[in-house]
Amino acid sequence: MSGMTPAGDFRSSYRADTTIFPTRGSRVALLIGIAILCTCPLMLGRYELGLLITIGFMGIAALGLNILVGFTGQISIGHAAFFGFGAFASALLAEHHVPVPIAIWGAGLMTAVVGLVFGAPAARLKGLYLAIATLAAQFILEDFFARARWFTGGVAGRITEPYTVFGVSFDREETYFYVVLAHVVLMFLAAANLMRTRDGRALVAVRDHYLSAEIMGINLAYYRTLSFAISSFFAGVGGALYAHYLLFVSVEAFNILFSIQFLAMVIIGGLGSVMGSLMGAAFMVLLPELVQVGADLLAGSAIDRALKLGASISFLREMVVGAAIILFLIFEPDGLAHRWRLVKAYWKLYPYSH
Amino acid sequence: MARHIAWIAGALLLAMPALAQQPIPVGHLMDNSGATSDVGVPYGQGVADALAWRNQQGGVAGRRLAVTGFDYGYQAPRAVSQYQAWSQRERVVAIQGWGTADTEALVRFVTRDRIPYISASYSAALTDAGGRSGRQGVEAAPYNFFYGPSYSDALRGMLQWAKQDWERRGQQGRPRYVHMGANHPYPNSPKEAGEALARELGFEVLPAIQFALTPGDYTAQCLTLRSQGANYAYLGNTAGSNISVLRACQTAGVQVQFLGNVWGMDENAMKAAGVAANGVVFPVRTATVWGGEALGMAAINAISRVSDPAGTAYRPVHYLAGACAAMLMAEAMETAAEGGGQVTGERIRNGFYARQNWVPRGFEGVCVPSTFTNEDHRGTMRVALYRAVVSGDTSQASIADLMRAGTMRLEPVATIDLERRRDWLGW
Repeated sequence: MSGMTPAGDFRSSYRADTTIFPTRGSRVALLIGIAILCTCPLMLGRYELGLLITIGFMGIAALGLNILVGFTGQISIGHAAFFGFGAFASALLAEHHVPVPIAIWGAGLMTAVVGLVFGAPAARLKGLYLAIATLAAQFILEDFFARARWFTGGVAGRITEPYTVFGVSFDREETYFYVVLAHVVLMFLAAANLMRTRDGRALVAVRDHYLSAEIMGINLAYYRTLSFAISSFFAGVGGALYAHYLLFVSVEAFNILFSIQFLAMVIIGGLGSVMGSLMGAAFMVLLPELVQVGADLLAGSAIDRALKLGASISFLREMVVGAAIILFLIFEPDGLAHRWRLVKAYWKLYPYSH
Repeated sequence: MARHIAWIAGALLLAMPALAQQPIPVGHLMDNSGATSDVGVPYGQGVADALAWRNQQGGVAGRRLAVTGFDYGYQAPRAVSQYQAWSQRERVVAIQGWGTADTEALVRFVTRDRIPYISASYSAALTDAGGRSGRQGVEAAPYNFFYGPSYSDALRGMLQWAKQDWERRGQQGRPRYVHMGANHPYPNSPKEAGEALARELGFEVLPAIQFALTPGDYTAQCLTLRSQGANYAYLGNTAGSNISVLRACQTAGVQVQFLGNVWGMDENAMKAAGVAANGVVFPVRTATVWGGEALGMAAINAISRVSDPAGTAYRPVHYLAGACAAMLMAEAMETAAEGGGQVTGERIRNGFYARQNWVPRGFEGVCVPSTFTNEDHRGTMRVALYRAVVSGDTSQASIADLMRAGTMRLEPVATIDLERRRDWLGW
């Protein structure tokens, strides 16, 4: 492996074709990036760290949805319910004296089982029908959360334990950041590698053309439900990380709007792109912050008075998110990941980009 | 030596303005867009105006209050994450809060961070400051305060009134009582306390009826009320969804005495519900309502002008309660700052304990007296009950006109003084 990619395509093995890091440079860049992230708690304030943590667990859940939507070509509008299930499951396990680091993975597995159940219709249904079936999952789970007091603490919610290893408590942003970072690295590595395996290629084949895939000997029902289980596993782990960060889980958070937000993350980030999931999550988490900054600047100014924004300035945020999705669908349907590739290509080929 | 002291004094004098100018960061959590925004908007406005007015008056101990407002849309998780931003970025020393779900979720956090939290949730679970009640699910809440009787105590007051009302009307048999509300921490909060006292008082307690926090069609609930033969029904939700019930019950011809939650009725709801709201009995937290004659109304009028310079707006009961809650906090901060003290969360909390039968200065006759101790945060055990009287069409005129014309009236019914029972603490 050299530092530069050759001008032509000289790959002669599947191994070379499916490599995650095409050059040594890209591997080094990633390691440097992680190293820089590791120093973040020393440089950033708690609020900024909080945002990065949020990007982390949302990114993991978005990655799960991306495996389902972007890689397998299925659809789910109940992802927030699975995210919530993971959060509650981890809180419940922690309450029953399961150490939190184990509870998080346990919650992921439990959510995967639930995802398998609700993904079962995917074996038979496609497109809009599947969307409605997952919508049912959203509502059934939401209602279950509100009623199952033993599981969720009912509508009052459940207070959870901080992440603790060998008596060291990761209950502050500065420390919890590393927990989330470790999980992000693990989960993203897992997803990137999953796509290099037979199963991963099968998922992509199902997406590209289900009939051809079936003719090639891929069990459609198996891979479609498997995709739901994997996706739910990621959602569950993301939700569990969320639970032990906020230390409070309540049914109200996991509504359909949140599910739509996950879909927005994958669309904006880039369908079928592992890194895109993280970019989409970052975009969706940071956008409201930017709007808030804008709104704060506007508040009390001439524009505010002229439009009588006042209290409705808080609605601005929701509107901007909606507008962002529309704009992305029109101008960048391949998402941020594609834009990022173009930016890289531009610099790589500069000044001879044609 | 004397020269040294003079130097130090001089240095301090120079430093004083710098210290004095540093603003006091305060968080203000509002529901302007969620399920309870019908009452959240006037209450939040009351708090915001009162604090802004306080700043016009020179702030607290010469320091301005830097109030950061946040509309959380009645979503507890959003409140929790906003709390983390406030406690860590803005480093607020006190918070004006809102709902029951979020306030109860934040109890542990505010206790850990020592940030007084003045909620608009009057859940009795927040009153057990010492954590001595031993009730399941109730933990010590030494930093939680609210202005007014708890939901449970307000309901207890209404039940005692209902008992008297039943006897006064010469009715036979046992009256039937039913709890109505959404499956949500806020309407659920006084449910058991109310049903327990109702049994104690000799009511027959019917199975609770559920209806959502948002407006909708609740005809089915009204028909259940009728078929059960309920006599007294507690409306646990906020005004907006209660209106739906009142209207549906009027259409269905259900004859029930409704007992409104403290957030369950106000002038806006009376106008919206029209004659359907006629007769609803509910607790009012202030000694007077808008347009009343009282010493403190001058200050309230001045506060109202902050957001309504023309002075024409009608302010519903929640606005006045919001102003009182804000003023309690401001005065507790002042107590904390006395003698050059730091305005820290702990000292503000102690400021709440400094007075007995405490009415913020200048608000006499508006804010009712509160007494907080380090074991018992039930500010008051007095429940003032009013009846909403609507005698005609409310759709044409403004609330101010309707109230002036007497088409809508808030009629004092009774004031119930509850015993400060130990076994009711935190319940």
